[in-house]
Amino acid sequence: MKGIWWKLLGPLLILYSISMGLYGPVPRLPILNETIRVLYYHVPMWFSMIAMMLASLIFSIQALGEKEGADLKAFEFARTGFLLASLGLITGMVWARFTWGAFWVNDPKLNGTAVTMLIYLAYFVLRSSVEEAQKRARLAGVYNIFAFVMMIVFIGILPRMTDSLHPGNGGNPGFNQYDLDSNMRPIFYAAVLGWILIGLWISQLRIRYKKLRDAKTI
Amino acid sequence: MQGVFQIIKLNFRLEWSARQSYFSLLIYILSTVYISNLVFEQTIGLESWNAFFWVIFLFAAVQAAYRSFYFEADRRFLLYFGLVAPESLILGKILYNFLYLGVLGLFTVLIFGGLMGFPMANPEAFLLILFLSALGFSAILTLVSGIAAKAGANPALPAILSIPLLYPQIITLSKLSLRSLSGFSWEVNAPLLIVLSLLALVSLLLSYLLFPYLWRD
Repeated sequence: MKGIWWKLLGPLLILYSISMGLYGPVPRLPILNETIRVLYYHVPMWFSMIAMMLASLIFSIQALGEKEGADLKAFEFARTGFLLASLGLITGMVWARFTWGAFWVNDPKLNGTAVTMLIYLAYFVLRSSVEEAQKRARLAGVYNIFAFVMMIVFIGILPRMTDSLHPGNGGNPGFNQYDLDSNMRPIFYAAVLGWILIGLWISQLRIRYKKLRDAKTI
Repeated sequence: MQGVFQIIKLNFRLEWSARQSYFSLLIYILSTVYISNLVFEQTIGLESWNAFFWVIFLFAAVQAAYRSFYFEADRRFLLYFGLVAPESLILGKILYNFLYLGVLGLFTVLIFGGLMGFPMANPEAFLLILFLSALGFSAILTLVSGIAAKAGANPALPAILSIPLLYPQIITLSKLSLRSLSGFSWEVNAPLLIVLSLLALVSLLLSYLLFPYLWRD
């Protein structure tokens, strides 16, 4: 993406979601109480993670078509996605401690995130064990496509078939019972968009840095 | 289609000429089953039976499929290159591994059941699940062993790469197989069986589509 406008928009949206997320009115629900505000900080991480992984998938497909530089982009987007997933996991664990009483419970959605992170860790291990750049682009591209499909199956399809403690159970695995409150909606969407833009920015900076470093060593 | 059968036959002949790989896998299963027998001094519950069985079968399957491209990272790939299209090669390998894993699964059932008992309430359902899992496992494991063989000499790589990809199948099939042990209703479990078959199908399709990219050098 060209231009500077989105680099301004991203932080502004996140600042808005953080301040309004702490300050704005929320519905009073039993058990959840004030922890419902985690919706602004936890759920956007997964939305933006999926966006990053989708970008990674698209660049991996391009890399299989032997497009120059696509493999680097696929890698960096997957890394940013992994960072966002880690943040989502940490925020989710804090929330789970206060509502479920434990940092980790055995739940389809939690398993899904753990598996997603393991799949992408395997992707990084695969990349690091191949030296030759062209071969790495092909092997990692093939694995990344497989990984994305399995991730979607795991976090998008299987949780719908089983019971879960997680809010938003049945139907959309992300959320829906919060969604009823129209006060929360704009803040939530602002947070999702803001984090996607920040993720793009992080990935773009990393890609530029890597390109410069590679150019220097040659 | 001709090429697919050629590959299966060739594979079998090459593996048979190095028979010790079959026997070493049998011994592997035997010794891991015996460990679980030693760990459980008294009778084993259904859930533990289920968990132990699938973990043992999973690791045996990873070991078995790892061999499918292990010896052909460079030289035999060149031989195949002139012989068949990449699509027939991957289909042949997957079919060969499917048969192999199916037989392996039956052996695991026999050995494991022999030592730990056969608690299946519905044996037909259990066998169906076993064969569906062999199909799905072989599709993923064959492609991943191809990736691992091309990636070079990291012995942990096949397990690291394939086990996370197998989680969706393992979770579905362990739930199903536990039900087949305790009492199975075809109507209730039809959706999960369909999910398991679709997972196998999707893995098969992805392996088929992606393999030609691995193959090029």
